[in-house]
Amino acid sequence: MDLFPLYITVKVSLIATACTITVGLVLAWVMAKRAFWGKGLLDALIMQPLVIPPTVLGYYLLVAFGSSGPVGNFLEETLGIEVVFTWKGAVVAAFISSLPLFVKPARAAFEGVGADIENAARLLGKTEFEVIRTVTLPLAWRGLLAGAVMAFARATGEFGATLMIAGNIPGLTQTLPIAIYDAVQSGDYATANTLVGIITLFSFSVLYVAGRFSRVRF
Amino acid sequence: MLQLSLKKKLEGFSIDVDLELDEELLVLFGPSGAGKTMILKMVSGIVKPDSGRVAAGSETLFDAASGIDLPMRQRKVGYLFQDYALFPHMTVAGNIAYGIEGRTKDFIKEKVAELVSLMRLTGLEERYPDELSGGQKQRTALARTLAAEPRVLLLDEPFSALDYQVREKLRADLLNIHRMYPITTVLVTHDLEEAFMLGKRVAVINNGFIEQVGTQEDVFYRPRTRNVARFMGVRNIFSGMVAGFDGQHVMIDNPDIGTIKAPVLPGREFVPGNEVTFCIRPEEILVIRPDKVLGRVQDNILECEIVGTVGRGSTHILYLEAGEGRTPIKAELPNFVLRKLELAVGLRIRVSLKKENIWLIP
Repeated sequence: MDLFPLYITVKVSLIATACTITVGLVLAWVMAKRAFWGKGLLDALIMQPLVIPPTVLGYYLLVAFGSSGPVGNFLEETLGIEVVFTWKGAVVAAFISSLPLFVKPARAAFEGVGADIENAARLLGKTEFEVIRTVTLPLAWRGLLAGAVMAFARATGEFGATLMIAGNIPGLTQTLPIAIYDAVQSGDYATANTLVGIITLFSFSVLYVAGRFSRVRF
Repeated sequence: MLQLSLKKKLEGFSIDVDLELDEELLVLFGPSGAGKTMILKMVSGIVKPDSGRVAAGSETLFDAASGIDLPMRQRKVGYLFQDYALFPHMTVAGNIAYGIEGRTKDFIKEKVAELVSLMRLTGLEERYPDELSGGQKQRTALARTLAAEPRVLLLDEPFSALDYQVREKLRADLLNIHRMYPITTVLVTHDLEEAFMLGKRVAVINNGFIEQVGTQEDVFYRPRTRNVARFMGVRNIFSGMVAGFDGQHVMIDNPDIGTIKAPVLPGREFVPGNEVTFCIRPEEILVIRPDKVLGRVQDNILECEIVGTVGRGSTHILYLEAGEGRTPIKAELPNFVLRKLELAVGLRIRVSLKKENIWLIP
């Protein structure tokens, strides 16, 4: 049996989750700790992928990242990176759709670290970066972990947007959820069952391990 | 030394204060919502004033005119938060060591040990904040603040979350510590007893303004405004018309209380017909034995009716009413006096407002 869909799914999800955590930490911190004009708009924008249909999101991405789209054109011209109908397209789809699932709990976790505690650290002579490293992150990590697990799970399960921007090319962009759809369409229930089993076991294990881990004290 | 002059517009009211402190402990006393905490926040840099200046020793921490606004980490201002704001993920020792800067490990260890023993935290070094009692948390927070060697110490209602016995002990501790480390300290409280116990100097704040700054005795016995008198628990505040003035005493007419004779501080002048406000503390009111025959003519005797009594531990509060207008008067007596004179509701008694205890509010 071809295990390529499993390999590409793990690869895409890990890279997408890494991007989500990196970008999401900054966004969540800024949303939690800073007041600025347009905060509500930015929030609505980040949360969009939760509410618009995945195919619509995929369409936006296809237009933006296509070789004539603003982002795609820039990437191709200056960096020589092609996104559409490659595994990188799947990363983009997984990243954008999992971002709100990380930002929301992460923002709540950062907001949960009271202003007094952070000000106490500042008044004890610490820089903003030191405050984040020694106080905010250690106190918020449970929420951040929960967000990261949700984001990772969402990235592994991404279907609609991935299909739009990365397509369904076996051995190249065919991720697990798409391979399952494909197998069912062609009546290959043996493959479908195996892949469904794998993804179910995988998702369950991730949630279980994360749950155990988050009960550890500090 | 700390000099501050702060102005800030807030929703509903504004703050406008000027204060100067030496290496002393000043109590900032006032009702809730008077702006006490906001003043500490502006001194520490948590909140930026609209205008004004804050200077500690020779260093300017904030000056709106020249655009100086030191970040919190450079102010060296120690702040004890009302709920202590301990780092819950660090032990007692970790919390105390947090603000000790860039020295060797041994130096930090030694300093932590010193503060642990000073603050009576021995044996608790490895505990986490959620394993400490209220008093232990407060001492840990104070140790953490002192460890960073602040030049100014700000204490925001440091005893409000503690029960009575612990509070007594920790107040005494604080005075000891202040003797050992004479840091310029501002202590915020709305507790009159605390203000009286801790502050040689008291600043009374109301509605964003300092109504009076002075020694404990000044503020307590010689309030400069009606509000200060009220906050200090004076309770008996009356108005009257100047009926006569002989340079040393002023005679004041009040329809219910009668004519009151009160001593006048040198330099003050009174014009007959003007209105004046005078006050007397409840515990300064004397009840005259019912059978006592007043020999010579005495000043400031008035007759009133007891309308209520409330026990307050070792004393009783007597609620009295005087005259046609039933002006309320509050007196506080030791319990044995109440028993001996068999004072009860409904009784008419004579009380004396001894003239040396009457204070004329300027």
